[in-house]
Amino acid sequence: MKKLLAQPASGQRVSVWLLAAALVLYPLVFSDAFYRDVGVTFLLAAISASAWNIVGGYAGQVSVGHSMFFGLGAYTPLLFYTLWGWPPLAGIPVGILLSVGLAVVIGLPTFRLSGHYFSMATIAVAELIRIFVGTWALVGGAIGLQGPAMARGWWDLTFRGDLPYYYIFLAVLALVLAVTFALERRRFGYYLRAIKSSERAARSLGVPVRRVKLQALALSAAFTSAAGSLYGVKTGFIDPDSGFGILVSVQMVIFAALGGAGTLFGPLLGALILVPLQTASNTWFGGGGSGLTFVLYGGIIVLIARFEPGGLFDLWRRLAPHLRRRAHAA
Amino acid sequence: MLLEARDVSKAFGDFRAVAGADLTVEAGEIVGLIGPNGAGKSTFFNCLAGDTLPTTGRILFDGADLTRAAPEAHARAGIGRTFQVPTTFDDMSVLANVMVGAFLRHPHRNDAREHARRIVELTGLRADQPARSLGTPGRKRLEIARVLASGPRLLLLDESLAGLTPGELQAAIALVRRIHQMGVTIVIVEHIMEVIMTLTRRVLVFNQGRVIASGTPEQVVRDEAVIEAYLGRGARRQRE
Repeated sequence: MKKLLAQPASGQRVSVWLLAAALVLYPLVFSDAFYRDVGVTFLLAAISASAWNIVGGYAGQVSVGHSMFFGLGAYTPLLFYTLWGWPPLAGIPVGILLSVGLAVVIGLPTFRLSGHYFSMATIAVAELIRIFVGTWALVGGAIGLQGPAMARGWWDLTFRGDLPYYYIFLAVLALVLAVTFALERRRFGYYLRAIKSSERAARSLGVPVRRVKLQALALSAAFTSAAGSLYGVKTGFIDPDSGFGILVSVQMVIFAALGGAGTLFGPLLGALILVPLQTASNTWFGGGGSGLTFVLYGGIIVLIARFEPGGLFDLWRRLAPHLRRRAHAA
Repeated sequence: MLLEARDVSKAFGDFRAVAGADLTVEAGEIVGLIGPNGAGKSTFFNCLAGDTLPTTGRILFDGADLTRAAPEAHARAGIGRTFQVPTTFDDMSVLANVMVGAFLRHPHRNDAREHARRIVELTGLRADQPARSLGTPGRKRLEIARVLASGPRLLLLDESLAGLTPGELQAAIALVRRIHQMGVTIVIVEHIMEVIMTLTRRVLVFNQGRVIASGTPEQVVRDEAVIEAYLGRGARRQRE
């Protein structure tokens, strides 16, 4: 955090508490179903982008295939419900375990690659899984799976309104950020940033690079899987595209990169800007708006890559001293 | 014997960058490694640091065979190195850079930070300065600080003193002396003869991938083969 906000420590703490209070109060102030839905969508995007951020941001291993963990997390509870009537709550940890296992299996070979090659390999794996799931009848094929229509108990995580989802999602987001914050300050966090900067130098200092990267991917996969599960139980429906589609992966990358990859609150900031924008374009342009989302993402990628690789947090960190000086002068 | 490299070779295709090089280093020595550009010094260094897998030969450190061990295993065993082109962690502060090294022997953050602070002070850097804002001399100094924090018994310095102004050079030489006095054995690759002359008692001259001469710095600079390697055949004759 010290790195994030170039401001006095007390100022940071105040902004974090203000943010937390705003997020807790938001659905109570905006009780309209539409606004609550936007809030839930925002939280979900913030969770998955923050989860991606652990390996994609801090460790600089830009995975564009995180939908494989998201999809696995979304499918597992619904699959176990469909097959054996398991409550979704019981399927979530299984999804997380499967995702961690997948992360290790995928990470071992792909971490031999670096830079763009790693990114492309992750895309390829996620796409293969998407196509495979689309043809596998047991998991619903191209049609997908459905969750419980009526709740048998709270453990089915099937609620009428958005409010319970909102607070569950908020709690999970808080957990992801708390874990990231704790890791950032420990040896593990320093090692991740060292790896991002120069793997060769990190190894020369005794950093077990492959193990650290694998741990980061596994942790990131676990949280991404949880995000997928939340999406699955909230929507009550999952198909190959909404679970394993490339747009799911790209969204995580864009949200994190816009706000600031490798910063604690960067992904949250990215989601805070892009989710309302996306909702607005969907509302104004109807079904045709989804294509526009891609155009918007493309534009953002170009702008970030060209002008602000550090994202908005980085921009702010550089501008803040100037603005403050100007404020003092005025 | 602290380090023993026996008959080390490294071939890239048909080209043998290192061709049967030997090096033994006793604990407490400062050994200089000189030679013309392209003599294979850096490749040999990379073999010693585990960064490059030698084609043939063996590398023993304190009795343990590290020939095929990964660079991180070399660091753990106590071999530290700097890079010819400095590779600092530019997104981090000076202190954080040094902490990455310190974490090797101090897993807890507060211990690592305390240790790193002492090293930063010793090397005369500013702890809170972003690594990005350092110039080349600062980066080289930071690299030394970083590897020093990892607690090496043997330090491989790859042209860490190149490109410094005369004033900076004197400070850097003093720093290397301090590190040596702390009980760290040093192998130093350097082009600047002043550094070699003042710091080392024993010099090995590299040419075309092998050691062509060794001895005290004074002996080596008068060696026929060395003069020929640097200046070409007949240089001695023309001079006389």
